[in-house]
Amino acid sequence: MKFLKREDIPGLLGRLSERFRVYVPVKRAEVVLWRPWREGVQPALEHQGTEPPKAVLFPRSETLLRFGCERKEVQVEETIEAPPTVIFGSRPCDARGFLIYDRVFLDEGNPDPYYRARREATTIVTVLCLDPERTCFCSTVGGGPLDEEGSDLVLLPLEGGYLAKALTPKGEALLGDGAFVEASEGQLSEAERLRERAKMEPLLELDGIPERFNESFTSDLWERVSQKCISCGACTFLCPTCYCFNITDERTPEGAERLRNWDACMFYHYTLEASGHNPRPTKAERYRNRIGHKFSYYPSLYEGLFACCGCGRCIKSCPVSLDIREVLRELVSYGK
Amino acid sequence: MASRNPFLPYIATLKEVIEETPTIKTFRVVIDDPAEREAFRFEPGQVAQLSVFGVGEATFVINSPPTRTEYLQFSVMRVGEVTTKLHELQPGDKIGVRGPLGNWFPYEDMKGKDILFIGGGIGMAPLRTLLLFMLDNRSDYGHITLLYGARSPQDLCYKEELKEWERREDLELVLTVDREFPDWEGRVGLVPNVLKELAPSPEGKVAITCGPPIMIRFTLQALAELGFGDDQVVTTLERRMKCGVGLCGRCNIGPRYVCKDGPVFTLRQLKELPPEL
Amino acid sequence: MIDKLKEAVREHLEELELVIGYGEGYDPLHATPIFVRRPEEVDRLLWNPLCVYNLATYLYGLKGKKVGVVVKGCDSRSVLQLLNEGLISREEVFLFGLPCSGVLDLRKLAERVDVGRVEEVSWQEGKILVRTREKEETIPLEEVLQDRCLSCPYPTPLIYDVLLGDPLPPKGENEALLRQVKELEELTPPERLRYWKEELERCIRCYACRNACPLCVCQDWCAAEARDPHWISMRDGVKEKWMWQVLHALHLAGRCTGCGECERACPMGIPLLRIRMKINAELRELFDYEAGVKEGERPPLLTYQVSEPKIEEPKW
Repeated sequence: MKFLKREDIPGLLGRLSERFRVYVPVKRAEVVLWRPWREGVQPALEHQGTEPPKAVLFPRSETLLRFGCERKEVQVEETIEAPPTVIFGSRPCDARGFLIYDRVFLDEGNPDPYYRARREATTIVTVLCLDPERTCFCSTVGGGPLDEEGSDLVLLPLEGGYLAKALTPKGEALLGDGAFVEASEGQLSEAERLRERAKMEPLLELDGIPERFNESFTSDLWERVSQKCISCGACTFLCPTCYCFNITDERTPEGAERLRNWDACMFYHYTLEASGHNPRPTKAERYRNRIGHKFSYYPSLYEGLFACCGCGRCIKSCPVSLDIREVLRELVSYGK
Repeated sequence: MASRNPFLPYIATLKEVIEETPTIKTFRVVIDDPAEREAFRFEPGQVAQLSVFGVGEATFVINSPPTRTEYLQFSVMRVGEVTTKLHELQPGDKIGVRGPLGNWFPYEDMKGKDILFIGGGIGMAPLRTLLLFMLDNRSDYGHITLLYGARSPQDLCYKEELKEWERREDLELVLTVDREFPDWEGRVGLVPNVLKELAPSPEGKVAITCGPPIMIRFTLQALAELGFGDDQVVTTLERRMKCGVGLCGRCNIGPRYVCKDGPVFTLRQLKELPPEL
Repeated sequence: MIDKLKEAVREHLEELELVIGYGEGYDPLHATPIFVRRPEEVDRLLWNPLCVYNLATYLYGLKGKKVGVVVKGCDSRSVLQLLNEGLISREEVFLFGLPCSGVLDLRKLAERVDVGRVEEVSWQEGKILVRTREKEETIPLEEVLQDRCLSCPYPTPLIYDVLLGDPLPPKGENEALLRQVKELEELTPPERLRYWKEELERCIRCYACRNACPLCVCQDWCAAEARDPHWISMRDGVKEKWMWQVLHALHLAGRCTGCGECERACPMGIPLLRIRMKINAELRELFDYEAGVKEGERPPLLTYQVSEPKIEEPKW
């Protein structure tokens, strides 16, 4: 096990920046955002980011294809960009989000080359959580504050720094930096003590929730739980496991570009057909689909894995404070 | 072997445009690159995304059967942004073709059975693919009936082919329009009602239907009343689609994606999904 | 006041399909909108400085139903503006008016306490007590109220069916907000550009600002997402976000009642209210007009005069 002193972090990030594009959480006003590290940028490693680092692997807007249109001819250019990258300071919930993306975007029969290129080029360094917020419920959905799944290197906060453990060859490669020194016995036992204290009990048993969801499909529960929703995209855009996107063309001087952009199933136009027909015309249907996707449909396709990492951002960022845990509580006891 | 970028379209040239109705045009396109053209293999019922570069993509069934590959045919109804621009294209213009996407009609399971096609309006497009495919493999199938209706005589698609099909001995054609029209001497009535009048027996039959959502709903009802089992009824659905490969999340009905696990579904499969049509 | 509110809701619940009010949120620092339909649910209603939400935002979507809604002074202005624009009908809304001394700004509070780990909140005269596991803090409310509340010109609802408390005198004429506008006006254009570039860079176009706004009734068919004509690119640059925010603010010119929900709803903490206050100040000057303060008043952008008294026409 290695130890990383807090004061050695800027030096480490500086050296990493010579080989990688390094993303860190930074505080701006009262929000914590993911931004590329530059000399002088102070990473806010003690906070869960207001947004997750999902835009690093799944950009808000990216160019998929460039079309050169001259006279009657059309040339197509694939634009896949994947420089070596380090995400430094994610949380276990953020890393878990990428695992959920992997099942979809790295499907062997049909991989997304853009995501795959970026994923392969990215190393994820996660800070484990010793003091979750009130809105955190990662242990309820299969994760946990000390969950290591999905990270390449994990950092456990100790006095004066972090205990560092590599989980993959990518993580190992980072440990070669001089900032990582051997951890002392005292630090190892401190780590043990802190791990014991950091256990988080699940809020509720989500066993059987896919079945409860299916049973509740036509009930008025959905109209009730969604009535305060205002159908914006805040929960979706800040969710580490949401990956819905839109594809649109835009004209350029050379011809056109095909863009992939974030989209949200909460928006009215998400399923609006050109004929005017909309299979999900009201918020009740859209919210039901959101919960259904996360807790029934996705699990049924991927061995029971929930498409939710329990980070609580949807609760905090919702303009009307809709709490997904309340909906789950109702669902779990539906029909009883 | 690296798989092809699922977002990358083939560049194709529009060879011919046929005006079917005031709102529907049929496009015949040929993929430019000979190797790509050769490698483009598809099954009846599969769809493709057509690109108008700089405007966008929209999904259409590959309207020609895999047994006739001099061109790929698509029938397009003008309803929105992309289809309006498609309708402005002229032969010689470039178009993108991304596909084949989705699943196809389970024609293997239909071999030896009598086939009942029930189509409404532009819903005839996917049915034409399978019908021509079956006619090109005629001995594999039993008696074939096509019940096709539209709002008015001018809204019927493939008018020239309909005349051909009427003359064929190995195909029974029943045409209908929603109400009386001056030059129309054929049947009058909504497709589900005409279906009930014809009262076909479900014995040894498979029914394949496509059309506007409301027509499908009443047709499925009529088929149930006539005693057709859930495994005997096949339909093909429409949804707003973007990626076409089950990634963007939008076209789902429950855990199934209409672009990837569909658009063809048997009634049994539909009933296993949440009621979200 | 809460008891009077509950009593009034109980009294009128029968004639209404539902009553929208405030209830307990997910932690001691949050309330949340609740929809009361049955008498047993009335006791869930509460009233305290956590009741930030502008419940008028639900009214347009509930057209056709007779609904009751709890409104503070600022919220009542949104209702008035919706009525003045003919977007909702008076017979369909029953207004429970609550005079308000101000609501909390959680971002200000976050500078003082760890808002993600609060265990208990209580209220004393003019103070809020916040207890986390580590410490307990007593903070004068004035220090953590929303800026717009500090010099609120309309603490008492301007329109109501029942008023459930004594009318409160105005705290000012929006000086706190206008000062922020003035601070920006005093920057040189390059400085202002730098400021807005930095603030708008973190916009994620989630449209929380738009959907939280009671006056944005066209949110499902928004110009920002239109394809034909294609006004705003979907690219993720500052230019595009700027275009969106300016388009939004301009579309609200003469309609924005300064309730600040846009800024509060923004998950990225962008100071959106400032843009709208500037436009509102311009409208005040040009047309002597403030949205949502006089019943029956016609918004100036819906009027036409051959010659405007305060706009100097170019002399051709």
